[in-house]
Amino acid sequence: MNTSFMNDNKEKEPDWKVDFPISQTEATEVTRRQFAKFLCLVSGGLATGSAMVAAKAVFLPGKKVQGLHRVCSIHELPKGGTRSFVLEGSRTPYILIHLESGEFKAYEQKCTHLSCAVFYKPSSGKIECPCHNGWFDAHTGEVLQGPPPRPLPKLQVVVKNQVIFVTEAENEA
Amino acid sequence: MSTFRRAQNQAHPNKTSTLMLAIVVLLILNVTIQIWLLYSGLNNALEHNTDIAVPAFAGSAILFLINCGLLYYLPRRR
Repeated sequence: MNTSFMNDNKEKEPDWKVDFPISQTEATEVTRRQFAKFLCLVSGGLATGSAMVAAKAVFLPGKKVQGLHRVCSIHELPKGGTRSFVLEGSRTPYILIHLESGEFKAYEQKCTHLSCAVFYKPSSGKIECPCHNGWFDAHTGEVLQGPPPRPLPKLQVVVKNQVIFVTEAENEA
Repeated sequence: MSTFRRAQNQAHPNKTSTLMLAIVVLLILNVTIQIWLLYSGLNNALEHNTDIAVPAFAGSAILFLINCGLLYYLPRRR
């Protein structure tokens, strides 16, 4: 009598197994069925992301720079020099460059890759992004090498009475 | 009631495996195309070419619906 009672106890599943009837295989391994469902979920996420991009592009287009904005006087910026500035009512950093050729150029000071600050490398005609070794042409803003996918957005520079102003670039689509 | 399907499944158990693999490959292919659509739509929108974003979204939404449809053909759990 006593022996059979002990045997019953041994065969009985422990309480925790009854409460959480999940086998280890089920908990640690992913079936192809689950993987297929997960891929469908990822697909839905990507479609939602595309929808958000499209909505932003159609309903909230970026604001254009209105009018002329004074940056500094010509004498404050020697050849090869740069000056950072921010337009009124905006927090986007810009960089004004006095190239060795005498031209003035103004670009957004945010790399188009991951928005690191970019710097003009004097006497090289190139703008450098030190984060991931990206390089832009200081004359055009085009990408020369590295991970940036797009050219730097630029502003048009106007010099009036020895003072440098910037305005929206004309040829920007 | 015909026992044809059951007999077939017993005779060729690999069929469901092949079908499952084919569906997973198609899903991966579609998700890859969706990643490409999102990437190009986003980059063009940031470059002020907004015309790309809406067709990219339409393509991505259609692929999502196709992916949901493919789940219907997943072989039944044995």
